[in-house]
Amino acid sequence: MPVLVSVRNATARYGRREVFRDLSFDLRVAQSLGVLGPNGAGKTTLLRMLIGCISPVTGEIRIGGFRPRDAVVRSGIAYFAGGTTLPPSVRASAWGTLGNGEEVLPDRRRIRALSQGLKQLLGLRTALSRNPLQLIVLDEPWEGLDSESARWLNATLELKRDRGAAVIVSSHRVHDLAGFCDEYLFLLPHEATLLKAHEIARVGPVTPALLTDTFDRLREHARVLDSSETA
Amino acid sequence: MTRLVYIARFFTAVPAVPPLTTSTFTVMTVIAIVVIVIDPSHAAGALTPILLLQLFGSASGFDVHARRGHYDLLLTRGISRRRIVLAHWAASALPGAISWLIVASVSEVAAAGREPSLFTAGSACALILVSTIPWAITTRLPRFSGAIGWLLILATVAVVATPPSAIRIHGSVNTWDSWVTAALAALVYPPLLVGSGLEGRDALVMLPGLTVSLLTLAFAVWSIDRRDIPLEAAQ
Repeated sequence: MPVLVSVRNATARYGRREVFRDLSFDLRVAQSLGVLGPNGAGKTTLLRMLIGCISPVTGEIRIGGFRPRDAVVRSGIAYFAGGTTLPPSVRASAWGTLGNGEEVLPDRRRIRALSQGLKQLLGLRTALSRNPLQLIVLDEPWEGLDSESARWLNATLELKRDRGAAVIVSSHRVHDLAGFCDEYLFLLPHEATLLKAHEIARVGPVTPALLTDTFDRLREHARVLDSSETA
Repeated sequence: MTRLVYIARFFTAVPAVPPLTTSTFTVMTVIAIVVIVIDPSHAAGALTPILLLQLFGSASGFDVHARRGHYDLLLTRGISRRRIVLAHWAASALPGAISWLIVASVSEVAAAGREPSLFTAGSACALILVSTIPWAITTRLPRFSGAIGWLLILATVAVVATPPSAIRIHGSVNTWDSWVTAALAALVYPPLLVGSGLEGRDALVMLPGLTVSLLTLAFAVWSIDRRDIPLEAAQ
């Protein structure tokens, strides 16, 4: 499968605060990448870089060979960063038609009146209703979803991936991503590690326990690095 | 074409101008129509509140909404950022422009040629000024900031110098000084231009205002097109 997303030595910074440094990874067509990391590690920033809303301070990002700003114009990219990014005064039914023109949630209430889970579901259904999609970028998509909606999301992402879309999802909770992704990117202070699913679980799927264990080891390693740099 | 239709659909569902401001435009338009029907000679005065309201309507703010993620769906829809920004400006100016069009049309019918038309270069220039400059100033600021700043300048000028509304523009451009005064007055208080049949040298009064509005519009579009849009919560 050809490479769709290529990130080379990307560094992100807000003013003087460095979010991550020299981040590199590739993602192929019809593959999924899970981005894991504690709060403030740069997950949202990385995903926003992939849709061209933030430029890396150094390094480069290519999607299908194009800069992200050009790629969003040429390719089908779905992005959603959570229910809080929906405009609160807009009616849910009106927002829901902005995907493929069909109403995804027949609810006349304004978005501010919806529960967190419903907002999340509305945003996801709208973003994912677009066809065809080459790249799906979702920031903490399971946040606030009930089990039925979470099942719908997993099934939809798997279907889109089987049809050729590359999927990038972030979460700070390992059980959301365990077993779903082909590769896992652990974003930690001073360190970013990319592991393929078979590198985490030699046999069988990546379980939440295995992912937690790997995440904890990498976090501990990052803490040691951090304390040695401080010393 | 499909992309333009999508932009129109998006800004219909997610209005750049708040519904309350749009309702106020409706009320002001009705009042202006009543005033014009009663006395067509007051057409220019009836249009002035609509132009002042347009300062607030067009000062809609782009960055604040974009950084909250409200435009994410649009920004990833395969439409160039420049087009999105220009569409945002058009959506911000539309309610005021429609009001202007309705009031000017009613005035045209009511006056039946007996009073000066509102469809003049001066009136159009006033509408352009109040539709572009506040929008451009407010792109990085919270909603209404550009309009509030403009009103502060207007109030300051009125207190420390001659109130701009007292300056006569028609037939005033005889000297360099009078041109500067009239042009500045029109720039600070665009309703001065309403109804003025600015011809010949008088038309030069509009030049600085139009230049400023085009430059600020171009700069705002260029600047938004280049800069990052991080999420507020992620910084």
